[in-house]
Amino acid sequence: MSTEKPIALEVVSVDKSFGSVHALSDVSMRFRRGVVTALLGENGAGKSTMIRVCSGVHQPDRGEILVAGSPVRLAGSLAAKAMGIAVVHQEPQLVTQMTVAENIFLARLGSRAGSALHRGGALVGEAKALLASLGLENDLPDLGGRCTGLSAAERQLVEIARALAADPHVLFLDEPNSSLTRKETDRLFDIVRRLRDRGTAVVLVSHRLGEVYEIADEVIVMRDGRKVGEGSVAALPKARAIQLMAGERLKAALDLAEAEARPALKPDAVPVLSVRKASGLAFSDVSFDIHAGEIVGMAGLVGSGRTEIIRAIIGADPLTGGAVSLNGRRVRFSSPRDALKGGIAFISEERRTSVFYGHDIAFNLTSNVLDRFGSFGFFSDRKRRAFAQASADEIGVKAETVDVPIRTLSGGNQQKVLLARALASNPSLVILDEPTRGVDVRTKADMYRLIRSLAHERGLAVWFVSSELDEILQLADRIVVVRGGTIADSLARGPEAARVVASALGEKIEDAGATALASDLAPTLGTT
Amino acid sequence: MGFASLRRLPFLKGQEAGLVGVIVVLSVAFSFVNPNFLTTDNLRNVLVAVAVVGIMSIGQCFVIIAREIDLSVGSVMGLSGLCGAWLMAAGLNPWVAVALAIGVGAAAGFVNGLIVVLFRVNSFIATLGMLSVARGLTQVISGGLPIMVDPQVMFLGQGSFLDIPVQVLIFIGLVIVGQFILKRSVIGQRIVAVGDNDEAARLSGIPIASTRIAVFVVSGALAAIAGIVYTAQVSVAEAQAGTGLELDVIAAVVIGGASLSGGRGSILGAMLGAYLLGALRNAFILLELSPFLQQMSVGLVIVLAAIFDQVRQGSFRNVGIMQSLIGVFRSRTR
Repeated sequence: MSTEKPIALEVVSVDKSFGSVHALSDVSMRFRRGVVTALLGENGAGKSTMIRVCSGVHQPDRGEILVAGSPVRLAGSLAAKAMGIAVVHQEPQLVTQMTVAENIFLARLGSRAGSALHRGGALVGEAKALLASLGLENDLPDLGGRCTGLSAAERQLVEIARALAADPHVLFLDEPNSSLTRKETDRLFDIVRRLRDRGTAVVLVSHRLGEVYEIADEVIVMRDGRKVGEGSVAALPKARAIQLMAGERLKAALDLAEAEARPALKPDAVPVLSVRKASGLAFSDVSFDIHAGEIVGMAGLVGSGRTEIIRAIIGADPLTGGAVSLNGRRVRFSSPRDALKGGIAFISEERRTSVFYGHDIAFNLTSNVLDRFGSFGFFSDRKRRAFAQASADEIGVKAETVDVPIRTLSGGNQQKVLLARALASNPSLVILDEPTRGVDVRTKADMYRLIRSLAHERGLAVWFVSSELDEILQLADRIVVVRGGTIADSLARGPEAARVVASALGEKIEDAGATALASDLAPTLGTT
Repeated sequence: MGFASLRRLPFLKGQEAGLVGVIVVLSVAFSFVNPNFLTTDNLRNVLVAVAVVGIMSIGQCFVIIAREIDLSVGSVMGLSGLCGAWLMAAGLNPWVAVALAIGVGAAAGFVNGLIVVLFRVNSFIATLGMLSVARGLTQVISGGLPIMVDPQVMFLGQGSFLDIPVQVLIFIGLVIVGQFILKRSVIGQRIVAVGDNDEAARLSGIPIASTRIAVFVVSGALAAIAGIVYTAQVSVAEAQAGTGLELDVIAAVVIGGASLSGGRGSILGAMLGAYLLGALRNAFILLELSPFLQQMSVGLVIVLAAIFDQVRQGSFRNVGIMQSLIGVFRSRTR
């Protein structure tokens, strides 16, 4: 039993506040060697703060940290590293102008002031040996090459290899698979299993519950800065974990699976967006329609060309061939600005490229439509704030007023502000790339409800792209599957769709999990 | 009027309120040593002395908010002032000459903007080039000789209206217009958006290229106005006018609370920053202190203003200064 394994790291009654916000209150937890512990919780539950406290970035206000049974003070991340605690961050932090091998051993630059990294062959050899010991020798192409050309998954591997270079006893993985495909995630989990078998305490933080439960031995659930449950995966099953994470908000979470009847579309109506034989950077011969009042979900693997199709249509990338019509008129946009004027609003998958972090909600919400609040290039601040307040309220942004700085909002609420910004320009088509990435369960439910009402009540055309199969299945009225840069399938919502989509994706990723998930979901989706 | 009620004034908050406080405290302190400091005459002297730098700092403030920098303002000021005087000497109507001189400044700014936007040259480098080119051009045109200004325009630098010097009126008028444009116009908010997050600005349909060019044009045009005012003030245009002023201008903007990382700043703050610098210089003269001390104190004020701004931004929340100092030396990973 795992309970008999030695404790690698323990925190006892830790408190941590930032100003008036209690990020952690009286949290105790222990991580055992040779055990994979999953740390679950919505955004803002305190998981990241927990990692930061355990890795020396933050000092706890109260409480103790014990490494292998003896209390320690982790003065900084270097001190934590010396104690055998390593963290793999969500966004790999690489020095892209250095080689892969240099990045793996980057910590040596910090720990030995005055002595240079020994360069070239020796370092590459060392990196090779390290990767071989992890069974990863074939996964990174060129250890002596720079990191500029690496894919997201390869960057993640470099980050992991770097964390493991110090041979840690405790390894924290912060949302390691948020940008990985299913196959890459599987490989990551293989590494995690190998580390566990070697006796490392692995702590996994992730939003993707399904995947977490494939690998975790123990689960700890946090909510609002407190620990609200812990146990083995058998004692604390997925449904129970969701319940604990969401707390009172369980109802909202369950609403996710609820399918509503949707109004029938007029079949002869002119589609809002019509794409014919379009080709561009990473796709060719793509044709599809989106009607008013319809939610079209675009499914496909990372790298299948989904994002490229969007970028070409809104004019961010060149469209090399084919025809695009908006409300029956032929269009070709030369920039996102052009597309916005034409009536297409786009919300990018990367929130940090969309938010003006230095400013308040009102600024962020109205940045597209200022000229509406006045004339001759000037505007009334009062009108702007009134408009921002009204649309923030309408969309359910959780903030006292629109004067609140946007960086104080949770990721989900920031996403709502971006949606409100997109709607402010009265578009006929809204494009959402990964609409709920990094958004907690509860806000996800809000977002789904919101998107549905936009399409089904306000009659907007909605086009979204998602890597999460259950999101596609729950939200889309029609599913378009992209594979290898072209449209592989177009299906109506329903139990059939679940199976076909899963296999369309599964074919390529050779994964039984996706099919299994689809058949799990099929009954709940079969209401239409 | 207490500190708290100052904050409630429209536009006046944060760094600006702090600056007003610092200026008031320093003025009172200086006036104890030399009662002449807090007289209307001396206030006027300070304002006259800072008008030229102040006018340029309005343009620079827009540039810095857009996360760019304009090092060429001193040279463009010299070039425009000289061009104006030269055109007047050539027999042109002095008012047309003034308009053309402003056009010269705007054109120099436009070139800066084009180089930054089209060729993606860092604005530090592009305007460093312009600094040199404009100064060289000034010397070529003048041949190294000073040019007299037409007496008709001299009142711009020497006249007064209702006992207020004209250049001070121009300065304050431009500050009011500039602050209004920054806070209440679409272009002003576009500048802020581009400086905060240019990718987000692009995706939300803001024309970032023309916004960037616009800030350089504004900065160039305001440098030209400063050049005319300065030339009118000293009655003669000479090739070295404005040399080195770019540093004072940037200092005024930074003291005024603008962030070199873009997206934040205020014209009113820049004006107060320019005033604080001018008042310090003036105080050192009135207190008969060494000009070397004056230079040191100006440098200190610049750095203190930046530190104050960081503290106000909350970068040191929950951390004592000593603790963070110790942290810097202990943790080599930061």
